Amino acid sequence: MRSWRKKREGLDLETELRANRPEPSRELIHRLEARVREDGRRSRVGSFRVAFAGALAAGVLAALASVGGLGYAATATSQAVQKASRVVHAQGVTVLHRAQSASRDQYGKPKAKKKKKHKKKARGVRFRRPPFTG
Amino acid sequence: MLRVDPLANPEPLIRRVYAYVAYRIGDGPDAEDITSETFERALRYKKSYDSGKGEPVAWLIGIARRCIEGRPPTLEISSEQLEAVDHRDLEDDALRRIALSSAVGRLEERDRELIALRYGADLTARQIAELQGSKTNAVEVALHRSLARLRIHFEGEEPGVRKSRVQQ
Repeated sequence: MRSWRKKREGLDLETELRANRPEPSRELIHRLEARVREDGRRSRVGSFRVAFAGALAAGVLAALASVGGLGYAATATSQAVQKASRVVHAQGVTVLHRAQSASRDQYGKPKAKKKKKHKKKARGVRFRRPPFTG
Repeated sequence: MLRVDPLANPEPLIRRVYAYVAYRIGDGPDAEDITSETFERALRYKKSYDSGKGEPVAWLIGIARRCIEGRPPTLEISSEQLEAVDHRDLEDDALRRIALSSAVGRLEERDRELIALRYGADLTARQIAELQGSKTNAVEVALHRSLARLRIHFEGEEPGVRKSRVQQ
């Protein structure tokens, strides 16, 4: 006990704090390390899958481009779109432009509305009392 | 841009986070729980780590601080516990560790936080200032004062005296 007190007399508190820093148990370190490693492995597998899919797509495109397949595919697509649009518009209703119709030209103009004339009431027809003659 | 993995070398990080948490709330299962929780959160939000803003340890300590918030402090060692420890024939180092832990536990929250950041997590005054949003100078002064208060508490610990009192 005396030695402990003696040591404390010339105490460097900062060194003490660093030297006596609380340490985690080995079990905790192992558990957390394993957890971190497992997570890293999982994310690496995920990114590998994405990279593999990207590489595969790029490879297929390159192979198609080398044999002119891209132009063929583009033509086929545009033809398919054209056909589809034709089918869709076949049942459409044809609308004639109104101005092109002869009958419309002749009779189509709407009649101008006649203004109603206000009938003026005849003046001087008002009833007047006959003058007083006594 | 190449992403930096903040948890590439986890062991030293685990040690520093645990030391910080233990200085804050006390050594033991609670500190282990909070350290585990800190790493779980760190794994969940690993993508949010920005190496331009600081080192991984500072990022982890920030998470640990949030984990500790709201938890009651359990650091203080009662005199009965200390006396019980005295009865055992412990070595000087173990006694000193217990006395130091007890003295840290008697500090106020702010002092304890500074001691934990500086000597537990081993952050520099500059890193602490960044974490707390204050100036490096202010942190250095506050640390100096915290150490002075810790010295008073630590030198006030007299396990030998207490032991003799128990024997009487």
